Amino acid sequence: MNRATRTFLAVGAWALLAVMMVWTLAPIAVMVFTSFKERNDIFAIPATLLPKTWTLENYASVFTSSSMPQALLNSVVVGALVAAATLVFCFSAGYALARFRFRSSRPLAIFILLGQIVPLTVLLLPLYQLVSSLRLLDSTIGIALTHLVITVPLVTWMIRNQIAAIPIELEEAAQIDGGSRFDAVSYVTLPIAAPGLAAAGMFAFLQSWHEYLFASVLTTSSSSRTAPVALTEFATEYSVDWGATMAASVIITVPIVIVFIVLQRYFVGGLTGGAIKG
Amino acid sequence: MTQTLQTPAVRARRGRLGGHPVALMLPAAALTAGLTAIPIISTIVRTIADGGSGLARLFAIPNFWQVMLNTVIWTIVSVLGAVIIGYIGALLLQAKALRLTGLWRSLIMIPWIIPGVVGATVWRWSLSSDYGILNQWLLDLGVIPEPVQWLSNPDVVLYAVAVVQVWVTAPFAVLMVSAALAGIPTERYEAARLDGASAPKILWYIVVPSIRATTGIVVLTLAIWALNSFTIIWVMTSGGPAGSSTILPILLYQAFQNGDQSLTAAVAVLQLAICVLFALVYVRTMTDLEEQS
Repeated sequence: MNRATRTFLAVGAWALLAVMMVWTLAPIAVMVFTSFKERNDIFAIPATLLPKTWTLENYASVFTSSSMPQALLNSVVVGALVAAATLVFCFSAGYALARFRFRSSRPLAIFILLGQIVPLTVLLLPLYQLVSSLRLLDSTIGIALTHLVITVPLVTWMIRNQIAAIPIELEEAAQIDGGSRFDAVSYVTLPIAAPGLAAAGMFAFLQSWHEYLFASVLTTSSSSRTAPVALTEFATEYSVDWGATMAASVIITVPIVIVFIVLQRYFVGGLTGGAIKG
Repeated sequence: MTQTLQTPAVRARRGRLGGHPVALMLPAAALTAGLTAIPIISTIVRTIADGGSGLARLFAIPNFWQVMLNTVIWTIVSVLGAVIIGYIGALLLQAKALRLTGLWRSLIMIPWIIPGVVGATVWRWSLSSDYGILNQWLLDLGVIPEPVQWLSNPDVVLYAVAVVQVWVTAPFAVLMVSAALAGIPTERYEAARLDGASAPKILWYIVVPSIRATTGIVVLTLAIWALNSFTIIWVMTSGGPAGSSTILPILLYQAFQNGDQSLTAAVAVLQLAICVLFALVYVRTMTDLEEQS
């Protein structure tokens, strides 16, 4: 390849990257900049990307005169419940899948994994009735219970892969030194797997943080409404407060993006690993 | 593989101290049974028990076939768009001319990691026909002569919401195809180049065959997501105007909201049937992959 073609290819690659970035980030920019616009600026024609005057009034109204603060708290509670329960269920199952070969392992693994492709809407009515019969409607525990449907299949797989990557000899060494298998897991495997487990727990938290379908039908009051549901409440039948909606969107999104950037190594490995390996 | 080379001593110790592995899997399996398997069975039983009247009413809905067609168009457009962007993005991130690829890769992931409700809300605002920035930009560039009614024109709305689904899911395709590309040994490229193969030939004869399996999985996963997608359409249009962006999950949700349990169950059974079809192909592809590797 001569120099001219190489320069041409480099320019082409950077240009394509620019297009890709505009496509990916333009809606994010619209969200962020609209959240700082004044009310009359938002409905200005022609529409502009940047605010004419920057204001924080949208953020102020989200925090002072909406149910969003309560909803964010509810989302944190639900997410924490989901993450904790998911880790308990999935560490146990993931460990068994990684460390044992037994006749029912494959059917059981497929059974748990198939939960991943069941359409959530299919479960809407039965789960609503289940939560209702447990008298957990409009409660954070009720929502958390349904979110386990989403997290358990994938996290089982993430944890299985993480444990399979830890040499079994480490556990065997602890057992030869006189520890029980339980000791070996508690003092050897768990500490080594801790960062990966933290990422898996975070992943479960994020899934719960995103979930809208179940939360929208299981909540009837602001005492249990989660952030995604509360976001849609800014739109009344007649008008949408777009400034407050965009400010609330930014508030819901920012923590997620930060967490993802910090933990993306684990997420990416866990997800592609789960999807490609059999 | 330590598991295949177990000594009798290790196996005995396991038997004594490890307990039965099925017991370890029981909590997760019981949870899956209670929250997924039993609800599915109860839905099927409910549909059969009412003598198929729910299904009969489903097929009798005036715009039933419109909904099915919408579902097919929505799925095809969403999958095709995400796969094409996924390939372009992944190949682009391989380009040697680019610097800071880690940063770009992270930024490309953003649409996938933000909550679906947020993505849908932001797009709904950006696609607003009067105040939306997209119409303004397209007008400024002279691409369109007058504002497009993205979300209120029945002929356009389905494609407009599909673009948002592509925006949300394309990063997954980029991620998967990138991982597959990284797995191609460099010797293959070198050998091809020594033999004088041009860049398009390398793409067609080396890259495409090497990531065919991944492509299969990506297409299936995206198709399942599109078929089951609810939030984006619901937040943007609630299936309107006049049902022109209603797909099966939206139909189910509307039946649920109307308190029509037998119709809800009937739509669920139809969705399940489609899902089982895809699940069979999925498991098949996974098994083939296992045998290859």
